[in-house]
Amino acid sequence: MPQGVLIVAEHREGKIQGPTFEMIAKGRELVAKHGGKLSVALFGQGVDALAGDLAQYLVDQILVGEHEALKFYTPEGYAQALRAVVDQVDPLIILIAHTTQGYDFAPRLAADWNMPIAAGCVDVMVEGQSIVVTRRILNEKIAVDLELGGAPRYIVTIRAATFKPAEKGGAGAQIHKVAVQIDIARIIRKVIGVEKPQVADVDITAADVIVAVGRGIGKKENIALVQELAKMLGGVVGASRPITDAEWLPKSRQIGQSGKTIKAKLYIGCGISGAMQHVAGMKDSGLIIAINTDPSAPIFEYAHYGVVGNVVEFLPALTKALKGG
Amino acid sequence: MNIIVCLKQVPNPDLQFQVAPSGTDIKRDTLNYRVNGCDEYALEEAVRQKEKLKGKVTVITVGPKRTEQMLREAMAKGADEAVRVSYEDPAALNSYQVAKILAEAVKKIPHDLVLTGVQSDDYLYSQTGAMMAGFLGCSHVSVVTKVTVEGQDLKLNRELEGGDQEVVMTKLPALLTIQSGINQPRYAPLPAVMKAARAPIREIKPQDLGAQNWDQFVGGFQFKVRKVYLPAARGKAEMFTGKPADSAAKVAQLIKDKGFWRGG
Repeated sequence: MPQGVLIVAEHREGKIQGPTFEMIAKGRELVAKHGGKLSVALFGQGVDALAGDLAQYLVDQILVGEHEALKFYTPEGYAQALRAVVDQVDPLIILIAHTTQGYDFAPRLAADWNMPIAAGCVDVMVEGQSIVVTRRILNEKIAVDLELGGAPRYIVTIRAATFKPAEKGGAGAQIHKVAVQIDIARIIRKVIGVEKPQVADVDITAADVIVAVGRGIGKKENIALVQELAKMLGGVVGASRPITDAEWLPKSRQIGQSGKTIKAKLYIGCGISGAMQHVAGMKDSGLIIAINTDPSAPIFEYAHYGVVGNVVEFLPALTKALKGG
Repeated sequence: MNIIVCLKQVPNPDLQFQVAPSGTDIKRDTLNYRVNGCDEYALEEAVRQKEKLKGKVTVITVGPKRTEQMLREAMAKGADEAVRVSYEDPAALNSYQVAKILAEAVKKIPHDLVLTGVQSDDYLYSQTGAMMAGFLGCSHVSVVTKVTVEGQDLKLNRELEGGDQEVVMTKLPALLTIQSGINQPRYAPLPAVMKAARAPIREIKPQDLGAQNWDQFVGGFQFKVRKVYLPAARGKAEMFTGKPADSAAKVAQLIKDKGFWRGG
């Protein structure tokens, strides 16, 4: 009977990515409670060093599939490699990070292998041969528990920054090489390369004070209000995704999973509701102040101080108050 | 180039939500709905490609009657035809089932390219597109931020974490999930809005897909919404109340007390 947890490790530019360690922490907890092994699948070419890194964590085994066609992630290549590992390990749960790679890979796998999938979960539990997952929906405001059953195996993708990453301290996991058969003709996607953003702007990750602006600012002209406050505090202006999507500020100012991760001493969120993808990029800031019209906005769960109100009215009042008016 | 764009109608996320008495959905009677954010960009991308390469853009949704408003808006913005799959569950939390239904419906419409948004603003599954591609048996690329069509080849940028972009090639037929910000969506001109108000919307029922009912699309395993509830807050900010001048004075004092004010 399928048992245990298999994690698909994610790596980029020679480094295991953070969400993999978060999945190791959760996977450890699951196998401690429900039995089975905690296995990690690692695919690539020349990844011995990465396997060594993973072996420093408390996992039972690392299954390494190496092939020149696995040098870069492709859904077709990874699926073929994972087939061999799953046949060997027979896990109850396959954990994949809910990252841009995870979005691309996990659902395709679910369809191709006809497996149930639960995506973007903040918790997962096992009940016999069924699983129960918790998700956050509707801008974090509602939680939902979903039960998936009637299958030998489940794919679960884990939302980044949900679990505390595992700490080093394994007994030295076993590293097994898996003979992966890759039919190159089935790999339609070709990876050309990676483009890095052109940095011709301030580096917001280096700023002590960030005044961040979101949809609540209403219109482009109002960004001046945020710029004035940032200037008064010797800080820089950051933004949530809708603002850079609308090209009101350059992409280099975007805070969040698809932008920059900041750790400012002071973060002031102006009209930002606090969608998870933004919060993941700012929650470790020292002092967080948020202004938003919606009292149920999730940003107030992360802020130390909050004001319910319209930033367009609030910001002029704040700059005036700071000047001593 | 015939392009199908999958649209979803979602509740405005700035609202406060309540749990329905059933305990398995939110109260929906007072919600207002709009087209999902990324889907607007997917539609715009499809219309731009059509303007370049000729062909037809068809918009499709899975959802109740209220979604027809969204389909008409899409026609006013350049879609040529609209299809509503009459799956009436307003919550539609089973992404496998929705992707399967959509894929079977899409098979009935001639196409070279299928576009969806990266994720829906209400559930953030990021599943429907890539899962559909599996059911359709075509190639797919997720989180696309740039599309160049070169004959049967597609050159694409896909977003990675931290602002990096990966450049990949794939082949038609393909399904792409489109990221917000890929373009600047247009507004609908008034005559097009008037015309779209009278345009026909094709309806697809289970029988049109060779099934008795929508339960036949769940993939042979169990899916159950066990509980919908208000989550415990992770933390709570200390709130400053009063008129803007009053709350601003308190925030200004806080900024000064914490040593962030150096006289501006």
